[in-house]
Amino acid sequence: MAELRKRGLVTAVIYSGPFRKLGETQARIFGVPELPLIEITHPLGGVSIDEVRERAEMAVPVFIDLIRKHQK
Amino acid sequence: MIATERLLEISGAALEVDDDYEAIDAYVRGKNWTDGLPVVPPTAERVRAMLAYCDRPVDAPVAKIPPRFGEATPLRLAANAVMAGCLPQYFPLVLLAIEALCEERFNLYGIQATTHPCSTLLVVNGPVARELGMNGGHNAFGPGNRANATIGRAVRLAMWNIGGAIPASGDMSTHGAPSKYTYCVAENEAANPWEPLNVEMGFSADTSTVTVYGAEPPHNVNDHESLDGEGLLKMIAGTIAQTGANNIYYAGEPLVVIGPEHAASIAKSGFSKRDVKAFLFEHARVPLGNLSDDNIVRRLKQFEPYLPGLTAEQRDRPVPIIKGEEGVHVIVVGGAGKHSVYIPTFGPTRPVTLPLKLKDGTLAQSVEAFRQG
Repeated sequence: MAELRKRGLVTAVIYSGPFRKLGETQARIFGVPELPLIEITHPLGGVSIDEVRERAEMAVPVFIDLIRKHQK
Repeated sequence: MIATERLLEISGAALEVDDDYEAIDAYVRGKNWTDGLPVVPPTAERVRAMLAYCDRPVDAPVAKIPPRFGEATPLRLAANAVMAGCLPQYFPLVLLAIEALCEERFNLYGIQATTHPCSTLLVVNGPVARELGMNGGHNAFGPGNRANATIGRAVRLAMWNIGGAIPASGDMSTHGAPSKYTYCVAENEAANPWEPLNVEMGFSADTSTVTVYGAEPPHNVNDHESLDGEGLLKMIAGTIAQTGANNIYYAGEPLVVIGPEHAASIAKSGFSKRDVKAFLFEHARVPLGNLSDDNIVRRLKQFEPYLPGLTAEQRDRPVPIIKGEEGVHVIVVGGAGKHSVYIPTFGPTRPVTLPLKLKDGTLAQSVEAFRQG
């Protein structure tokens, strides 16, 4: 992900709540501290497909916004 | 041997703390440099003594430890080995274990950061295990042996201090495991009726090796009743055949640690080590219907490589936990008693075996071969 970011592609990491610190640390370590982190409701495992879809619906608009900003 | 002044200059991190146990303990805890247990203060003299058993440049990284990808230099590793309570003679094994753990196929990043309770199990074979008095007998996985305890702890402290495996930031394990403090044994080669692990991995019997596993704590197999190898292996296979371990979904080469008395009975029944593995592959299976419906639906594709044409309706079809006849490691560890243990792994990981070599590539018959000056 960090390599894709460095190549100028639109990138983001989608995480659920307790994993934010891990994501922030990894982004910093790999030299992309500004890497967007998109939060979804925790947990992702052990939930129904409808609940997975709800989480995707949380993330998609944020990611679309990132793409639009990148195009500008 | 490196001079203390040079050591302090290289480290660039020398500091002064009152020469008082409580003050040092408070300082170390304030820096979050400990696993929670007290540590031996890593004074320059102690680190220097540790590095006397290292034939590499003290400031050249031997690996980078994820998830922080901190540079594991001999100097940093030596400080952690001192803190863990290692004797200097143990240091070559600490260094070798770190190199093995950082090989790509081991997937240390996954093992460090996962929610799974795996730790870094070290299995030591060959003459150096005997030289250091390592325990492969009674209570080998438990307390009582300085080399087992502190080599394993040195590696864990390196995972913590260099790798950043800090709970809830770099180590996301839901429960953790006591094996995250230390996890290191020798194989009981004297009681092994088959070839020891180092020989099986392609080395000579007099080559010292460290084999690393991304492993859960041991699960016991009690069998005081079976009179022959087939009965014992059936009981071991029954313990392996569980739905909750990652190995039902992934290969990951789990480990079967057979107690010497079980091993003797199994060998007496005519089983070679290869036969043992083939038996466990064939019998350590879980009927698909033992999994919940959601697991069956969502994980079915992961079983297809081993069970072509599998459908969710085939509830009686057995799913192999061990993925092929060579998909399990078998070693002999322990003392008297009718017990063996099964050690599931993280799953997306491969064990790694490395031989103990000097910098010039020659095999080290003794840790004393590393001694400098």
